[in-house]
Amino acid sequence: MARATNAGRVAAVLVLAAAAAAVSNLAASTSRKLAWVGSYSRALEVGPPAPEAAALPASPSPSTGSVAAVEPDLARSFPPHPDKPAIEIAPADVLHLYRKKMLFLDARRSAVYSEGHIAGARSFPVWESDIDDRVKKLFEEGLDQRAPVVAYCSGGNCEDSHMLAEKLYRVGFDKVLIYKDGFPDWQKRGLPVSKGVNP
Amino acid sequence: MRAQIALGAVFVAAAIPKIADPPAFAHMIYNYRLVPGSFVNALALVMPWIELVVGLLLVLGVWRREAALVAAVLLLVFLGAIGWNLARGHAIDCGCFDVRSAGKTPEQLLTDMKWVLLRDVGLLLLAAQVLLATSPETSRRYS
Repeated sequence: MARATNAGRVAAVLVLAAAAAAVSNLAASTSRKLAWVGSYSRALEVGPPAPEAAALPASPSPSTGSVAAVEPDLARSFPPHPDKPAIEIAPADVLHLYRKKMLFLDARRSAVYSEGHIAGARSFPVWESDIDDRVKKLFEEGLDQRAPVVAYCSGGNCEDSHMLAEKLYRVGFDKVLIYKDGFPDWQKRGLPVSKGVNP
Repeated sequence: MRAQIALGAVFVAAAIPKIADPPAFAHMIYNYRLVPGSFVNALALVMPWIELVVGLLLVLGVWRREAALVAAVLLLVFLGAIGWNLARGHAIDCGCFDVRSAGKTPEQLLTDMKWVLLRDVGLLLLAAQVLLATSPETSRRYS
């Protein structure tokens, strides 16, 4: 019997795949899940900080943990960049900021973070479904947004740190600095590394 | 018959790592710089499942003409996506079977991309063979 291509069957294949994708995504763990909507939508709900909040003097919040208050000379060496989400800095500057105990954020996947990360850096896996919640939580911690924040990923062509910077920028952080050479460079220099899920 | 099983097996093998780690595959799609941001996640979720369903249908020999047609369309999309990036010299991981970045140099990646093009042409020929074998014309002539 002659069989022509059945458009209904092609449609059935596509619908079946979409349904399976939806179910698998619902069942997936946080680190394996994808948001259905565009990446930036939820972070945007937070909105930029109010101008009066930005004018308040720097006061270390009790929830900032090990992150130090920003010193005036540090603030001068790394001025804010309100016109763009991030600027790239040299490894020497990265080390200087690390010694001053500034906040370090790791934009790589959480599984990669567990294998090893800059000691003290917090995990902000930009490709995982809870990234917007993490950004929102960071914003709600009430960190001094004038303190430099260093974001890094795996160096080379990796743009995860830039994407993280973009998300932070949208909630009002305008001093995010990118450690361009990222974790491979850090490791090569033999600087402090931690393993596991905690900073 | 053999062509369809080989093609199906390749599609199943390609689908599994992507289904296991959608964010990694989304990252790969993003790197191609061809898909608008809001579609990257949806595509990363659905495309591997299309590959899996098509692969299983081909292996099992069910709805093979339709499955081969969808496979051929997917292969044309892959060829276009890799070819476009190769033409503009944008070195990327293919993300075809392995969704974790291999950490290769741009030169190595560009060489790999040429091999991927060749492989996809080969797979397209297999799909064409299945389509030809199941075409109403051929069936009429030989039945």
